[in-house]
Amino acid sequence: MEFFWSSSHVPVDYFRFLPEGCISEIFSLTSPKDAARFSAVSRTFMSAAESNVVWEKFFPSDYNDIISRSDSLMVSPSKKQLYLSLCDSPILLDGGKLSFSLDKKTGKKCFMVAATELGITWGDTPEYWEWLSHPDSRFSKVAKLNSVCWLDVRGKIETRMLSERTKYFAYLVLKLEDRFHGLGNANAVVRFVDSESDNDAEQRASVVRLSGQGPRATLPLSRDDGWMEVELGNFFNDIGEDGAVDARLMEIRDLGWKGGLIVQGVEFRPE
Amino acid sequence: MSSTKLLTLKTSDGEEFKLDEAVAVKSQAIKNMVEDDCVSNAIPLPNVDSKTMTKVIEYWKKHSEEGVSKDQLNDFDKGFLEVHHSVLYDLLLAANYLNDKELVDVICQEVADRIKGKTPEEIRKEFDIKNDFTPEEEEKIRQENAWAFD
Repeated sequence: MEFFWSSSHVPVDYFRFLPEGCISEIFSLTSPKDAARFSAVSRTFMSAAESNVVWEKFFPSDYNDIISRSDSLMVSPSKKQLYLSLCDSPILLDGGKLSFSLDKKTGKKCFMVAATELGITWGDTPEYWEWLSHPDSRFSKVAKLNSVCWLDVRGKIETRMLSERTKYFAYLVLKLEDRFHGLGNANAVVRFVDSESDNDAEQRASVVRLSGQGPRATLPLSRDDGWMEVELGNFFNDIGEDGAVDARLMEIRDLGWKGGLIVQGVEFRPE
Repeated sequence: MSSTKLLTLKTSDGEEFKLDEAVAVKSQAIKNMVEDDCVSNAIPLPNVDSKTMTKVIEYWKKHSEEGVSKDQLNDFDKGFLEVHHSVLYDLLLAANYLNDKELVDVICQEVADRIKGKTPEEIRKEFDIKNDFTPEEEEKIRQENAWAFD
């Protein structure tokens, strides 16, 4: 893009003379990541880039409703601080059934469904699955797999809760105990509950590796919160009118005994 | 068919522009004056020079034309905004003063597009912005926002 420079052009920092309202509007049309970088440009930029007017625009439109479902008292000196806090420290909603956070670079909504809200086949049978608290878990209970033949764990979320026009990924958040055994591979699939049956989805399930030899890229990855995660699949959320999405991990063909994993929940997030 | 009324706008450098009222009321400020009936003579616009007013009127006229498709308008806007940032600045101030929200939004989006994804150095260079931080201050800001600087 060529700009015409008049012969008498003297470099002027025009941003210094723009009304703050205009600069705020301009910054709010960029992204959280951009706004955080603008603070380093100049004092004028920093003043606008730190303003509540700008950061308010980066929150999802329903964030106040979401926060009201939490028991935590959200007090922050600024909208930017509140934004960063929601990114770095997920809050619990609905009495601890799920957690909520924001994706830092984009402001999109992330949710983790607690183990207690997952559909775990044989989850009620104490010889197979145990429910206990774990120091690393954000939820009050995690599900510990003693031993089971039929492994089937699923987490569900309503698309209307998610950010619009966003590609979402579903992850099983877990730890592998030392005694982890019986699960080299498993199958995983994500489906829209209203438009695809369980059986149809099962047919197209992909293979996920939980241990053993193989390319590192396909094994469970470490997260920042001390847990591991396994990608179950992805889907595109358009305007959130597609009903519920179901993300499922299963090993129901190889019926050998499996055990030694701890499930914290299923997370739905943009990347 | 109602008769078209012509308004006279007078810019800071004394130039007069005659314009259909129907077009000029894209400016909420002018619209208010028309409704308050204070437009018998030329409307003074001391905060807008003739060079900028010419461009604003060019925008207003294109966006008032009949039979222009959305694609054609987008193409027009794209070319209209392909100017040096000093011109954008004058346009933005004028649009703000004239209270034409549509034009303000379009210019803000253009500037936003020019600063998105850029490093502070790139932004300073493109917009002739002086770095008025000390090296220590700048380093502190970068560290506080380290997540944004990968």
